[in-house]
Amino acid sequence: MAYPVEIYVVQVIHGLVYGMLLFLVASGLTVVFGMMGVLNLAHASFYMLGAYLGYSIYNSTGSFWWSLLVAPPIVGLLGVLIERFLLRKAYKGGHLAQLLLTFGLFFILGELTRIVWGTSPLSVPAPGVFAGGIPFWGMTYPLYRLFMVGFSALLLLGIALMLTRTRIGIIIRGAVSDPGMVEALGVNVPLVFMGVFGGGAALAAAAGVIAAPFLSVYLGMANEVLLDCFVVIVVGGFGSLFGAFIASLMIGELQSLGILWIPRLALVFQFLLMALVLIIRPTGLFGEKE
Amino acid sequence: MKRIGVDKLAWGTSIFILFLLPVLVSETKIHLATEVIIYALFAIGFNLMFGYVGQLPFGFAALFGVGAYTTALIVHQFPGAHLLLVLMATALSGFVAAALIGFFCVRLSGAYFSLTTLAFQMFLYAVALKWRSLTNGDDGMGIIRPELDFGLLGSISLRSTDHMYYFALIIVAIGILGCYLFLKTPLGNSFLCVRENELRASFLGYNVFLIKLIAFSAAGVLAGLAGGLFVLFQEFVATSTMDLNMGLVPVIMTIIGGPTHFLGPVLGAAFYVISQDWVSSLTNYWMFIMGGIFIFTVLYLKEGLIGLLKLEKIRGSRVAEGKNGSDIKIR
Repeated sequence: MAYPVEIYVVQVIHGLVYGMLLFLVASGLTVVFGMMGVLNLAHASFYMLGAYLGYSIYNSTGSFWWSLLVAPPIVGLLGVLIERFLLRKAYKGGHLAQLLLTFGLFFILGELTRIVWGTSPLSVPAPGVFAGGIPFWGMTYPLYRLFMVGFSALLLLGIALMLTRTRIGIIIRGAVSDPGMVEALGVNVPLVFMGVFGGGAALAAAAGVIAAPFLSVYLGMANEVLLDCFVVIVVGGFGSLFGAFIASLMIGELQSLGILWIPRLALVFQFLLMALVLIIRPTGLFGEKE
Repeated sequence: MKRIGVDKLAWGTSIFILFLLPVLVSETKIHLATEVIIYALFAIGFNLMFGYVGQLPFGFAALFGVGAYTTALIVHQFPGAHLLLVLMATALSGFVAAALIGFFCVRLSGAYFSLTTLAFQMFLYAVALKWRSLTNGDDGMGIIRPELDFGLLGSISLRSTDHMYYFALIIVAIGILGCYLFLKTPLGNSFLCVRENELRASFLGYNVFLIKLIAFSAAGVLAGLAGGLFVLFQEFVATSTMDLNMGLVPVIMTIIGGPTHFLGPVLGAAFYVISQDWVSSLTNYWMFIMGGIFIFTVLYLKEGLIGLLKLEKIRGSRVAEGKNGSDIKIR
């Protein structure tokens, strides 16, 4: 049970890495949910597609950076097409129809991935610059994980600035709280929806690309991240970006520290946390209303 | 009223055919039919929540899995237990599990409800996966079908495919009939009321939380029974009885079969199982095709396959439109 302190520190950093990754995926999910009321189950498929596409691009170009540059826009475009030609048909149908539709998409995209890339797990090496480790407290810590934290933080900072400092950000935040009013003010809200949906998909794909060297690429990755994202959204509060951020870090730490405490129950901890939050605050830690 | 006459005729004929099936078709087909009726019970339970209460539990397989493991564990630990007692305990386990999960989940609605039920399913899945000393984890447990004991009248072995089929058929028929009659009661009617408008229902003095909890628990009984039968049928239980894919099964069956009719899920179950058997022998892409059919149904065929038959619907059914409870409309 008793581990040296540095093991704990390493696990905390590890939890931070996974937490940031999780937030890259969960943030898109949360914004789309807050804005359109669509809980997009296919969001996790975008993450997985990003990882697989990243793998293919890496294989044909030999460069990790190309895959990070090319895969997210492709998946983003796919997101735009899905929003435009499928989801838009379901808005009239209400929440259940949307949920069912994205569920069907999740199913189909998973199958498509299996058909195209096969069932065996694939691995992508870390890019050359970040391949090694740095000495840390008498051990070496993989440099690539630190890159993941840095990259996610940079990306998220950029998005936070866009949301709070630019005109597009104001429109998006306005459309989250009252799409009807924003439309009345002369904004093309369907276009904004489409853009945000595509942006969220690209963000998830970027998370998939950078996750590939860390977690490898496999078919179950969509399911896993989907479940973690659900827990994040329930714990953080539906539609709350800040809540999702805190909850992502909590889940990341809970998973990596939970493995140290009771390895067998590591999977269970996050669901216990979720049940606890549901008892004490059914709307989530930072959610305002249901 | 001619329509109801046709309905009754169809009911009679199909029950007749179901009982004669072992005489009519080969053993492999009977195997398939057993699978269909067990899944039918599972999907009917799902539609109790989806079609009648208007909530979509993505994690419904949690209850199926609880039933499956209850049956397997009792049969495994107490080989002498009477089979009907085992099934009663299984139904009870489904009820209790649903009541506990429902206690947390039914106060939420819409996507929130769907997700939290799924999270509970994955919680139970993780428990079943990790508690190896009890469940044998990933490897699962094999069981032996016990005999159906009638005391002085002797006993019937369930080892033959036909006997298992009849046994499942009778239990499923009782389950479905029970559900049908339950939905005809005033309590069953209040489910529709809650589905149409939660806020208005609560203004009328209904305890919406309790009604939803009762509905979910009743659905849990059906799912638990289906899970128990499934284990007896497969003679094997593993974590796959409550993994993510099993959670998707009743959703697909119900949507394709048609959530707006009581028997829609049965049709969906038949379509799902039979097409799986048929298409899988032709191509590898069955799941992909099923996903395509699912999306098509969601977008263009809201009443599912059974909607094509133009039968009597669940009253006021506009299931796929999923009314938001807080939205009051004056008509």
